[in-house]
Amino acid sequence: MLTASHLTRRFDTRVAVDDVTFELAPGEIFALLGPNGAGKTTTLRMLAGLIAPTSGTVHVGGEPMTASASHLRGRIGFLTEAPGLWDRLTVFENLIVYARLQGVVPAQRAVNAALELFGIANRASDPTAQLSKGLKQRVALARTLLHDPAIVLLDEPTAGLDPESAHDTRALILRLRGENRTVILSTHNLDEVDRVADRVGVLRSRLIALDTPSALRSRLFGKRIVITLEGPAREYDAAVRSTGATDVTVDGDRLSIGVDGDTVIAPTLVTALVNAGARIVSVIPEERPLEEVYLRLIKDESP
Amino acid sequence: MKRILALVAKDFAELRQSPGIFVPALLTGVGAIVYPFVIVVIIPAVTGERLSDSSDFEIAELFNRTEPAVRGLSAEGAIQAFVFQQALALLVGITTVTGGMSVAAHSVIGEKQARTLEPLLATPLRTGELLAAKVIGAAVPGVVLTILCFVAYVVLIAIFAEPRVWTALLTPRSLGLVFLIGPLAALLGLQLAVCASSRVNDPRSAQQLGAIVLIIPVGVLQVAQFAGGVVLTVPILMAIGAVLAAGNLVVLRAAVSLFDRESILIRWK
Repeated sequence: MLTASHLTRRFDTRVAVDDVTFELAPGEIFALLGPNGAGKTTTLRMLAGLIAPTSGTVHVGGEPMTASASHLRGRIGFLTEAPGLWDRLTVFENLIVYARLQGVVPAQRAVNAALELFGIANRASDPTAQLSKGLKQRVALARTLLHDPAIVLLDEPTAGLDPESAHDTRALILRLRGENRTVILSTHNLDEVDRVADRVGVLRSRLIALDTPSALRSRLFGKRIVITLEGPAREYDAAVRSTGATDVTVDGDRLSIGVDGDTVIAPTLVTALVNAGARIVSVIPEERPLEEVYLRLIKDESP
Repeated sequence: MKRILALVAKDFAELRQSPGIFVPALLTGVGAIVYPFVIVVIIPAVTGERLSDSSDFEIAELFNRTEPAVRGLSAEGAIQAFVFQQALALLVGITTVTGGMSVAAHSVIGEKQARTLEPLLATPLRTGELLAAKVIGAAVPGVVLTILCFVAYVVLIAIFAEPRVWTALLTPRSLGLVFLIGPLAALLGLQLAVCASSRVNDPRSAQQLGAIVLIIPVGVLQVAQFAGGVVLTVPILMAIGAVLAAGNLVVLRAAVSLFDRESILIRWK
């Protein structure tokens, strides 16, 4: 659906985006992570056809995105970092202009449907200057999706929103996946990424990592399981190591064990512990926070 | 065309919410209307001397002989008609340009400053369509304001000047100035402002460059008219109109190729 191939963008001597390549499928949510100035917004702008890459290409549905390919911009919905609403115009007026610019027919019906869908019909005649930040973002999202785009680019969609508005936005993002749209999300909110993203790209001018969140965890920290026992875990350390496990840490009533991707070792561990007289409360795979994954990747890339 | 109209309608809707934008252009128009009245009505009334008594207005005699609309007027009326006609060029030039530039400050430049330009550029809107919408959206209010000022000018002349002087303002020359030269000059100035916008780093410079490009010729023309160096006859106006029309076509092409969406998005802060 959307392919970025060796995308590079220079501003004078500074390389903002360096040789970034990825391919996204319909119904996929892809999160772009990276520190400020890492090139996330520049990448989104290149994908949206707003700025041209210095080298490399963007293809939308197999067609190359160029400055003259204005019809391709109609297949993309771009939620910019700022809502970008005309403050003096009402919510309805803001949306009707975009419906007409996008060639939506009939424009009025599409706007009314969007107002209902995003729960802002009761504010349709209010100037957008009077709206809260959350409501403005909702209007901007309605504008982004008004023309039913196959590809949705969201630049920090929940930044500065209250928890309820952020939750609603995440629910919307998940709904977009259900509608088979390709979603690219640029954000600093790692918890949000963990909840919604199918794949993650970590950008620091270059794409330093590109994979699913769980694959990134495994790659950086290995697979681990955590076994919680009734009582102190220390006395069962030997039993665990007797199974061949070498990466074992004990913390109170918890054992954290590296399993190196061997799927049979968990039952073996449980059997060994039970035979040693341990009473097991729970056995769960250890999920390292995505934040740790991200920080490790960024740290490894630091000069 | 639909996209251009959508954007023009949006700009007009925004202007309706901000009538204060027109205050500078309105004040300029009022100033341009008042100053010939000061010369031909107020000063003679205060000093008790008629303009026809002064040798400074001999050029009006020459004008009186060449302009059919002025032939039946008294000597004082002919001089008043001359001054009012000469001042019309300033009224049209400066009001149209000020009106257009006031609005232009809230068009492409305003979109950038309000951070509404990026979502706009993300639509299928083409560069030519964006420029056309912005130039038309800025030019039309300036032209409408100029026409309103012209109507007020004629009405005030009918009230305060010698009898039938106002008819001298309804000649093809004057009407051509208001309805042809004014709009063409406004379009040219606004397009030049757009061209300038792609070559400067901040919006204020773009506005000032566009305004200077037109205000200087308007000022020079006004001085030349009063000095007797230029008499705006119909053939001269037609020639100016042709030059402006050709200039508009050339600048339109240049504006589309020069307007750099990228640099406006990235460089302008």
